[in-house]
Amino acid sequence: MSASVDRPPQRSPALRLHRQLAAIWATGPGLQRLAAVNHSVIGLRFMATAFIFFAIGGVLGMLTRVQLATPTADFMAPETYNQVFTMHGSMMLFLFAIPLVEGVAVYLTPKILGARDLAFPRLTAFGYWCYLFGATILTGALLAGVAPDTGWFMYTPLSSNVYTPGMNADVWLLGVTFVEISALAFAVEIIVSILKIRAPGMSLDRMPIFGWYMLITALMMVAAFPPLILGSILLEVERAFHLPFFDPTRGGDPLLWQHLFWLFGHPDVYIIFLPMAGVLSTIIPVLAGGPLVGYRAIVVAIIALAFVSFGIWVHHMFTVGIPHLALAFFSASSAIVAVPTAVQVFAWLATLAHGRPRWNVPMLYVFGFFFIFAMGGLTGVMLAMVPFDWQAHDSYFVIAHMHYVVAGALAFPMLAALYYWLPLLTGRMAMNQLSVPAFWLVFVGFNLTFFMMHLTGLRGMPRRIYTYSGDEGWNSLNLLSSVGGFIMTIGFALVVIDLLAQLRYGRRTRRDPWKAESLEWAMPIPPAPYNFASIPFVRAGPDRTAPEGLAASLARGEGYLGFVRNGWQETLGVHMTSGAPEQLIVLSRPTYLPFYTALATSVAVLAMLFQFYLSALAAALVVAGLLVLAGQSAGLNRDYGPLPVGQGVSVPPHTELKGSPPWWALIFTLIADGTLFVSLLFGTLYLWVSAPNWPPAQTFTPNLGLALAAVVALVAAATAARGSQRSISAGGMALGWIGLAAIGLVVVIAVVVGLISGIVPRPTEHALGATAAALLAYVTFHAGIGLLFLLSNLLRLRAGFLSSRRSIDPRLTRLWLDYTVVSGVIALGLVSALPALVRSLGT
Amino acid sequence: MTARTAPVPPGYLWWLAAGFLVWGSALVVVYAVHGIGCTFAWSTGPLRLGLALVLFAHLAVIGWIWHRLGGVDPSRDSGQTGVFLRMAAVWATIAAFATTIFTLGATPLLTVCL
Repeated sequence: MSASVDRPPQRSPALRLHRQLAAIWATGPGLQRLAAVNHSVIGLRFMATAFIFFAIGGVLGMLTRVQLATPTADFMAPETYNQVFTMHGSMMLFLFAIPLVEGVAVYLTPKILGARDLAFPRLTAFGYWCYLFGATILTGALLAGVAPDTGWFMYTPLSSNVYTPGMNADVWLLGVTFVEISALAFAVEIIVSILKIRAPGMSLDRMPIFGWYMLITALMMVAAFPPLILGSILLEVERAFHLPFFDPTRGGDPLLWQHLFWLFGHPDVYIIFLPMAGVLSTIIPVLAGGPLVGYRAIVVAIIALAFVSFGIWVHHMFTVGIPHLALAFFSASSAIVAVPTAVQVFAWLATLAHGRPRWNVPMLYVFGFFFIFAMGGLTGVMLAMVPFDWQAHDSYFVIAHMHYVVAGALAFPMLAALYYWLPLLTGRMAMNQLSVPAFWLVFVGFNLTFFMMHLTGLRGMPRRIYTYSGDEGWNSLNLLSSVGGFIMTIGFALVVIDLLAQLRYGRRTRRDPWKAESLEWAMPIPPAPYNFASIPFVRAGPDRTAPEGLAASLARGEGYLGFVRNGWQETLGVHMTSGAPEQLIVLSRPTYLPFYTALATSVAVLAMLFQFYLSALAAALVVAGLLVLAGQSAGLNRDYGPLPVGQGVSVPPHTELKGSPPWWALIFTLIADGTLFVSLLFGTLYLWVSAPNWPPAQTFTPNLGLALAAVVALVAAATAARGSQRSISAGGMALGWIGLAAIGLVVVIAVVVGLISGIVPRPTEHALGATAAALLAYVTFHAGIGLLFLLSNLLRLRAGFLSSRRSIDPRLTRLWLDYTVVSGVIALGLVSALPALVRSLGT
Repeated sequence: MTARTAPVPPGYLWWLAAGFLVWGSALVVVYAVHGIGCTFAWSTGPLRLGLALVLFAHLAVIGWIWHRLGGVDPSRDSGQTGVFLRMAAVWATIAAFATTIFTLGATPLLTVCL
């Protein structure tokens, strides 16, 4: 290996450079496709897989409409109907909407921001495989007749093992959690990529608005998914091991599930909407022929929307008996969330009004979005008002509202995006002969289907009933709704035919058919696996990041990194705010590790599902081993110092810089982890304050000596990790420090397990014991992960991946253990204080 | 950005979220104090006073953020990026202030435990 630059020869520089880069970046044929880590490949797979589940979910939706088209229908048995509508909702939300958003982001973000790939290609691939395997488990359960059947939000106690004793609910809890791992991996990946891997010169004020939308969406995912992951874990533990978190007879509370679910569920609506709003904010200015109006106002609006969307989860629970004062402020929050949404809508309208809009197929879908989303938004404000919500709750009005918002916010912008960016993927334009009628069928069918549901809801039709008697006054409305469903389905089928026809017969187009002047069009069509033969310098923005002529210049290698070196997959890391070149990021090459790791994870999930707990534990250990193994090939095994990246600039490789992507990735991972921990603290205190049957008959006397010993061992381990970092930074081997830290963590695990065994009431007897055990298990788990960090440090140290310059590993370990100390002290403190709190205030 | 400008420190990005983080804290603390107070039958007067104090303390913090952002002008050193981020942070803080008043402003005035 050398640090020299293999410059392209002078003759046909663009073609030669293309061949050299393609040889490095391309995914191999045949089975090597399983080793793909390239963002374009994975992004397309995400989107294609999501569309398959959209089709399955759509068929399930149609089955429900067939059942409800006429009164007293016996098309489906009630048990089957329960599975069908549950899987329809679960698939559309968890297996279509979120993964589609992920796919769009994975595919487009590096291209729009002028990068060659995302920050962690192996993580991208792992996320995809987790999604595919988790989704396959759910679909397999449907085929086997054991699909979840308690509704897509799995309310307890219906989903507890008392009322749902089979594996149906377990399939949802384990399968969806598996898919959520994928979503969290995606979120961390996108945040770090947007903050650190952009084209040089792309300061935050020049960043295309799509980047802001994706950044804030990913940050929302980091905070929104952990409460649901926690809830799913707790409910699965209750079902499998009888710890009563949600069982009111033993100090649990079903409402805790609702809180945890909707802490995820409401932001999730905006997690789906915001990326599509990013798509609209990208497309509308191009089709209107003018810049986006109110760029800064939109950035502020999406920040506001992101936060406020978390503060309104209780509006899903207005009827559960919450005190009126709380209803008042959650109602106000639910109403005010319309304001930042309206800011965006008016910015788009102003952009259209200031330009000369082109009426083409993407614009048709933009029009469809405006119409439908406005209606969904208005009914949302209606439902935010408590008196109205009390009337409409759990009726078909809510179903109508939800479909107008979620489907309106997703389906129409999605199809606009598809028609807008398909020339980028295929090099061909759509044929309007099919596209236009397809749009009108979808639009008319959608409104016919779901508008009628407002009316059936207002006439009192409850959601989730599998049939009705026929004398309620719902007959004709339900029939029209079902007819509308079929029209919409025909429309979607026509869209598919149109797209397939486009692939074969569409008119060939040149680069940038829309005259967009954004970076994704400054690359070959279809894009090469490396995106840009050389990376651009952004001089203007955010609407003109790629002025005319840039594409040819980049293809000739006239930007940054217009050469190959050492067979490395290189892209540029920049300063977070200014976009100045800061580091050379060397990305991972194709590898089977993500596939095998996801496969092992799915084995663990399946073993849990079939209650083979030892096998599940073994598979989990294999996953841990594979993760450590993945670390053994990450980074560079020698020091390079600053390396030339073109334009007379030299920057160090990311392995030799403190603010490298792994550092930021761990920070955002810990934010997600911290959110889960705070949710667990909330759950513990919530049960104490609100659950029935508190306090328990007897409470344990906390063993303060053991708790103190655990804290001392934790602090010792963290201190040893700091010693390890100092030693490696000074060029030492740090084996003693690593060993000391490992001993400290082993002591922590032993002591905390001892504390769990002393809990009274037993974790299976009362929620006090169960929550105390959960808090202590959290500490044990983090100490265990800390051991994996130390093991990885040791192996990488021996393999020569660490040096005084390349000291990111011990810094990561230190950060993890610092977090473990803080969360451990809080958890141990709460467990020690809770019995006294219960006795003093709970009686 | 030009070569002469100093980059805005990454830590400045926290100011974009600061106002709404405080709003989130206000919402959670008010909800928690209210829930605990009503569950354990605290007297109405002290509970109402406690809720009002929580609300005004949070408003004061958001007001301080607003004041601080208004007083520091990074644009002299950080160019257009500094101007953009400062203005975005100021408006996000103003939005958070308005949101706090709109969502929680009535808390001290309404019936506490019903």
